[in-house]
Amino acid sequence: MKLAFSAQDDAFREELLSFLEQHCPPQARATRDMIGSDDVDANGVMVIPQWAKEWQATLFDHGWMTPSYPPELGGRNATAIQTMLYLEALAQRGICRSLHFGGYAIVAPSLLEFGNAQQQALAPAALRGDTVWCVGMSEPGAGSDLAALATRADDKGDHFVVNGQKVWTSYAMVASKCFCYVRTDRDAPKHRGISLLIIDMDTPGVEVRPLRHLTGQAEFAEVFFTDVRVPRENLVGELHGGWRITLGALAHERGGLWVEGVAGCQRAVDDLVSMIKRLGLQHDASITRRVARLYSQSRSLRAMGWKGFASFAQGSSAPEHSYMKVAMSELQQTLYELGMDLQGAGLAITDPAIAQEGGRWQAAFFNALAATIGGGTSEIQRNVIAQQVLGLPRA
Amino acid sequence: MDFSLTDEQRIIQQTARALFNKECPLALVRSAWSNPEVASPLWQSHLRDWLALSEQSLADATLFMQEYGRALVPGVFFASLLAAYAASTVEARLTGGATVAVAASNGYWIPNDEPTKHHVPSANEAQQVVVISGSPQAPRVAVVAAAQLEVTAVEHMDRLRPHFRVHVDGSDRGHDISPHAWQRVVYRALVTASAELIGVGRYLLDSALAYAKERQQFGRPIGSFQGLQWQLVNAALELERADAAVSWAAICVDADVAEAARAVHIAKLEAGSAARHCARTSLQVHGGIGYTWEHGLHFWLRRAYAGDAFMGPSDYHAACLAELLFAA
Repeated sequence: MKLAFSAQDDAFREELLSFLEQHCPPQARATRDMIGSDDVDANGVMVIPQWAKEWQATLFDHGWMTPSYPPELGGRNATAIQTMLYLEALAQRGICRSLHFGGYAIVAPSLLEFGNAQQQALAPAALRGDTVWCVGMSEPGAGSDLAALATRADDKGDHFVVNGQKVWTSYAMVASKCFCYVRTDRDAPKHRGISLLIIDMDTPGVEVRPLRHLTGQAEFAEVFFTDVRVPRENLVGELHGGWRITLGALAHERGGLWVEGVAGCQRAVDDLVSMIKRLGLQHDASITRRVARLYSQSRSLRAMGWKGFASFAQGSSAPEHSYMKVAMSELQQTLYELGMDLQGAGLAITDPAIAQEGGRWQAAFFNALAATIGGGTSEIQRNVIAQQVLGLPRA
Repeated sequence: MDFSLTDEQRIIQQTARALFNKECPLALVRSAWSNPEVASPLWQSHLRDWLALSEQSLADATLFMQEYGRALVPGVFFASLLAAYAASTVEARLTGGATVAVAASNGYWIPNDEPTKHHVPSANEAQQVVVISGSPQAPRVAVVAAAQLEVTAVEHMDRLRPHFRVHVDGSDRGHDISPHAWQRVVYRALVTASAELIGVGRYLLDSALAYAKERQQFGRPIGSFQGLQWQLVNAALELERADAAVSWAAICVDADVAEAARAVHIAKLEAGSAARHCARTSLQVHGGIGYTWEHGLHFWLRRAYAGDAFMGPSDYHAACLAELLFAA
């Protein structure tokens, strides 16, 4: 156990920091605990601004988009430790790589792992952001019980015909392709009848309706499929073999997310300390002790993430990482809620001219309410930990 | 931060676990409650040698202390290890079992000139007492023969590590040491105590998990009920988080970086809270059987609470941390 990594790793980090210094646009440095106002149109529906497209392409072209990949995939063959240092350096500065994580975090890794040569060739554009992807997973009847998805694809030999509906589909209104999980065998047990299709969003029969969040903005959508014809070569992996890919996709999604979550918690707790001093509340022991405990939790979670990474890198399983999502999402909510509480009766005021930090705490809190629901609810996470980490019997 | 263990550290872990599995069964813990003498052979033939940990990295000591806490090893080793940290500041070598006397009645490890020191662990088995006096700005360290001091037992929930009042009035006040040297003693003691609490929590959680898998009610194992599963997950989460905080603190203290000041309070508050949480959860999962004296779970529960209180409870360390956060 030691404090620092190797000299090569330090050099890697230095190179990254000087790249960021030189190339990172100010908009990408915004503290992204809420959606930026330039990322939505007049109706609050998500758009991808030009700076975001250029920034993602610049990252890719310099090998800083996905450092663990080779240069042709936007990387520089970085080691696992270097990848973590990369994620932490970005997260600590609140820098986002892309406004749509589905393509680089879920679709590209899955295509590279499960796709044929033709499909793998789609990965660079997904990573560079030239193609925007959405991922069609959840449905009205398939939320926590994802394997119950009912959007059906009927096998017609050289093509499939897709009918059904997806919901909470992030980025669907700006995506040109959908990574879509469909039911291809309705008689098989539910996990064994799912397949994965690539669906072009401009295919006749695909309809996207933006779905407004409780924040008022629309980053995700409902997607309806009516007799959508999908060529057979768009099947990824084996027919009825889609469930395995969903598990991989969720693992890709969670692999490095804790780094961003922890950095977000640390920023929030540091900002709470500043706000308490600004408001002259630093002598109120009931407040300062509460913040100290939250500070303690966020630092300990960072240590837990790195500890899990160490056992993972040494080839053992890392139970620590299973705990990260549930712990971080609940901590985030507590932190932002405290940021509102410190404003007294002003906690409900969102007028940017009056609220502390332009209403940042209220916006961040509303945003963070999604964290214990999306990507697997805290309840599902606890069930999974109970059974897979603690070895308790299934209910 | 790199948490990977070296081969030597793995050997410490494995050796300690094997030693305590063999030499410190539940039967020994039970009988040590009324007769502390039963732990002497373990101290004489094994644990004395492990005091060499005081000269190794704190990371090494935390690995050993986790196993020590898990087995709830009775005896004077814990107090002697802390005494060795304190004695090293004046380059004194301790000859046998020892302890440290520093706290006033509030229990905090803040150097003071009170005539009576409180919350002194295992003084009944110590031949030497490292007496701390002076002030935080000018601490003094003296190594005094226990026979020269008046030692009074204090009734305490954890009789496996009894606490004493030690009257130090008129005894040798020893040598000045630097505030920094004393601070490092406190840091090492806090992390050592925290590591033991992680082991205590680990035992309580593991025994609850084992019981939840085996105990049947309504025709199925009670561990299949979601209401119990989530309680166990919450306890496990807090314990893993605390475990990482303790390792992190050990790394910071070993590297002697400024971050250590915060990290040691975090370690103690997380470890104390987690051990208490695991104790309550473990008792609830065990139900009536865990509430019996005979079962023995209460020995670990007592240590969880007494260990949290030692050197100040979680709330005190939260206050210390708050002071550091809001000082600037």
